[in-house]
Amino acid sequence: MCSLLRLRAGARVAAAALNRGPGPGRRARTPLKVGDRALPGHVLLSQSLGTSAALRKDFMKEVESQLSSIKQTALDALPGSSWTPLQVNPNLPPERADIVIVGGGVVGWSVAYWLKQKERVREEVKVVVVERDPTYSRASTVLSAGGIRQQFSLSENILLSLHSAHFMRNINDHLGVLHEEPVDLHFNHSGYLFLASEEGAHIMEENYRTQRYAGAKVSLLSPTQLKEKFPWINTDGVVLASYGLENEGWFDPWTLLSAFRRKAISMGVIPCSGEVTGCQYQTNTVSTRDGDQVTLRRIRSVKVQMPNSLEYQPIECSVVVNAAGAFSAKLAQILGIGNGPEDSMAGLPVPVEPRKRYIYVMHCPDGPGLDTPFLIDYSGVYFRREGLGGNYIAGLSPQTDEEPDTRDLEVDHQFFEEQVWPSLAHRVPAFESLKVTSAWAGFYDYNTFDQNGLIGMHPLVNNMYFATGFSGHGLQHSPAVGRGVAELIMEGGYKTIDLSALDFRRILHQEPMLERNII
Amino acid sequence: MLKILIPTMMLIPTTWLAPSKHIWPSALAHSLIIAIFSLLWLSSPGETGWWLLSNLMALDPLSTPLLVLTCWLLPLMILASQNHTSAEPVNRQRMYLMLLTSLQIFLIIAFSATEVLLFYVMFEATLIPTLILITRWGSQGERLNAGTYFLFYTLAASLPLLVALLILQKTTGSLSLLPLPYAAAFPLISVADKLWWAGCLLAFLVKMPLYGMHLWLPKAHVEAPIAGSMILAAVLLKLGGYGMMRMMVVLEPLTKELSYPFIILALWGVIMTGSVCLRQTDLKSLIAYSSVGHMGLVAGGILIQTPWGFTGALILMIAHGLTSSALLCLANTNYERTHTRTMMLARGMQMLLPLMTSWWFIATLANLALPPLPNLMGELMIITSLFNWSWMTIVLTGGGTLITAGYSLYMFLMTQRGPVPQHILALNPSHTREHLLLALHLLPLLLLILNPTLVWGWTA
Repeated sequence: MCSLLRLRAGARVAAAALNRGPGPGRRARTPLKVGDRALPGHVLLSQSLGTSAALRKDFMKEVESQLSSIKQTALDALPGSSWTPLQVNPNLPPERADIVIVGGGVVGWSVAYWLKQKERVREEVKVVVVERDPTYSRASTVLSAGGIRQQFSLSENILLSLHSAHFMRNINDHLGVLHEEPVDLHFNHSGYLFLASEEGAHIMEENYRTQRYAGAKVSLLSPTQLKEKFPWINTDGVVLASYGLENEGWFDPWTLLSAFRRKAISMGVIPCSGEVTGCQYQTNTVSTRDGDQVTLRRIRSVKVQMPNSLEYQPIECSVVVNAAGAFSAKLAQILGIGNGPEDSMAGLPVPVEPRKRYIYVMHCPDGPGLDTPFLIDYSGVYFRREGLGGNYIAGLSPQTDEEPDTRDLEVDHQFFEEQVWPSLAHRVPAFESLKVTSAWAGFYDYNTFDQNGLIGMHPLVNNMYFATGFSGHGLQHSPAVGRGVAELIMEGGYKTIDLSALDFRRILHQEPMLERNII
Repeated sequence: MLKILIPTMMLIPTTWLAPSKHIWPSALAHSLIIAIFSLLWLSSPGETGWWLLSNLMALDPLSTPLLVLTCWLLPLMILASQNHTSAEPVNRQRMYLMLLTSLQIFLIIAFSATEVLLFYVMFEATLIPTLILITRWGSQGERLNAGTYFLFYTLAASLPLLVALLILQKTTGSLSLLPLPYAAAFPLISVADKLWWAGCLLAFLVKMPLYGMHLWLPKAHVEAPIAGSMILAAVLLKLGGYGMMRMMVVLEPLTKELSYPFIILALWGVIMTGSVCLRQTDLKSLIAYSSVGHMGLVAGGILIQTPWGFTGALILMIAHGLTSSALLCLANTNYERTHTRTMMLARGMQMLLPLMTSWWFIATLANLALPPLPNLMGELMIITSLFNWSWMTIVLTGGGTLITAGYSLYMFLMTQRGPVPQHILALNPSHTREHLLLALHLLPLLLLILNPTLVWGWTA
């Protein structure tokens, strides 16, 4: 019965998506005209130049607006004030919630959406998402370059990206809200291009095999093939290249975040602006098989502080999800994870810290053309096309000993001059003359242990799930990670992708799962 | 009678004067002794209708089982509340115990009252401690809403009852229950008499609750602390049933026609609340709606006015009181560990707390009226007497029984079977106190299989 309801709900969304006005690949209300191209499976391909109003007249919305205006006139006519005996701050989060997601970035909202997607009855679980900065000024999501690739060496990462790409290609089936604009991620399917030198070629070949086995559509190119395909590349020093043919490219992270947020809120998730500054937990001391005493904690309530105010609200909750990104370790510290003797389980902190990365926007009118992929050189430098006006964005991960200061988000332009530009100009001769128009910096939620995501429960805190530490690929994995965490919470185990290799056990056993990428 | 009432009143000084580490053990022991002594009431003389007769209070086969249930429930409530009140300051714990005790006193006087007006005053008096329990010790902000619904539904319906009782006093000259069945039948023909009939019954129907006026019950149950929920489900709803059974004798001959819509509403309520239970996500809310369904059957059985109907209603009231209270205690053990009432987030408990599963199983089977438990006896007698009145009711009662079995099993399978989520893997093991609590709920239920004559009222 419940799957029937879900099917009907899915069909409703799909029907709404189909019945919307002209959009890419949607059935148009106007009859077919000569010259309209049709894609197999879709009726019409016509572009809509985006509007900001709802695309369809909604009867219920009009009725509601009329009723509220009538109510307002009636209230104005009556004497009296709007005082109530219970003076409550309407911005406060609820006193009780089933699941509290700390962190309103793309991973947090993805988890919220999937939790609501997986519930069988409306309002089965009460989900609250707590985000301390509604302007997202320091959040990794919106400052990201927005790329998505399947060219990893770990099959979990490949599968996560693949599933996320499929999700984003059909995003309106998932995140479309009735009577609202469809989601347009500006997904440029231009692919990633990895270049390998002599030393890294064999790693690239092994990765290629793993990627093909997992289902990614990647192809290897020799230097001559590379020069044929992309004549603007200088193939000096390049021995092998790996080019993603499908499901790779870049998209707009802000749109993805807003889409997740809008859909989750429409399904009943409660957003809250505030910072988690404390929590109440109950402890239980148990002894392991070796006789060591371990303190297990169970979070009873999470204290949320309102922005710019002394007001706070403790939210009694059953499950907490830590999706705080670069600042996850701070949240974990509130719980006392990491305070303990060095060798024990209790002494292991959550190994996630913010690392600053710069992105520079350059303008080069003679640069590579529209089919430029997201190019990653073996020196570590990367660039991609941005928009249609000859702009590109570029960056480079600094050496481990030269990590920039993470106290602020100031950009170091010297870094571009000294480290990025030379490699860029060497690889793409057209970039010898370019102009840096703008730059910004953002944080990676860098997993200092092995630079791969941490998903799962902490062994010492019985009801806190982590979904953090993705070290630069959180955005591209976010739909699939959200689904994984929701499956963990609601169904007790992974159902679509098995992510159990990414949980805390590898940190306990000190067995890092490193990416064998050539960067 | 005073043998039980005076010790219960003395429980109040006990809670206030006992040193802080002895409050709970002494209150528990005191109330347990009172409960065991109250079992003596079950040995009835048999011939006369009333025994232990005095001016104001008496026992008869209708009130004895309910009184024993009330006295039995107090130690169980004290056992259940020990954990969640342990974090509070001592004086608040004493206050809590005093509220429970005062509720107990009012209920004992209500069930043993020989004067209908005394019953009415005690009926109203029970509202106050319950309201304080719900609004002060409830866990969420919605408890204020719940308290308001609870108070005003019952109050609004019982004011007409006061007027009706005063009219009855004027016509008969006395409101004592002893001569009331032998009073001459009144010529009840005018519309005002019909309104009087409705006024007599409305308060009890809202209290039961009848399906159309049941909105207060799920709210009150969900927001109340465990002891509040227990007393609400087990005894306060039965006040409505008991009041109806007492008042039926004077409401002849109007009941034959006027009860028609209420019987249908009650039976329809069984189906509707059962269907609601099938899609409930909140465990306590599910149990609350199931209470509405069972009490709908009780209301139908009482309104049908046959010996089998009355007997079935009484047995079902006692059995449902024990079962519902047991289920609420089980839900509370879940809530204290996982801190959520959502069934989806606390599944697969059989793997974690297998002994609790056995209690869940027995309580679920009792809820779905498995033979030979008294739940089935009561339901079967009510269904039979309704069928005798009209064969069409079998559709509603049969469908209702089916849906009841459906949602009871759904509740069991959701909480006990299924995949175990990782966030409840490390739970506190079951306390002996919890096992004792559930044993004391379910053992009397199982023992009643062997001697149901104790609780089946006048048809002994």
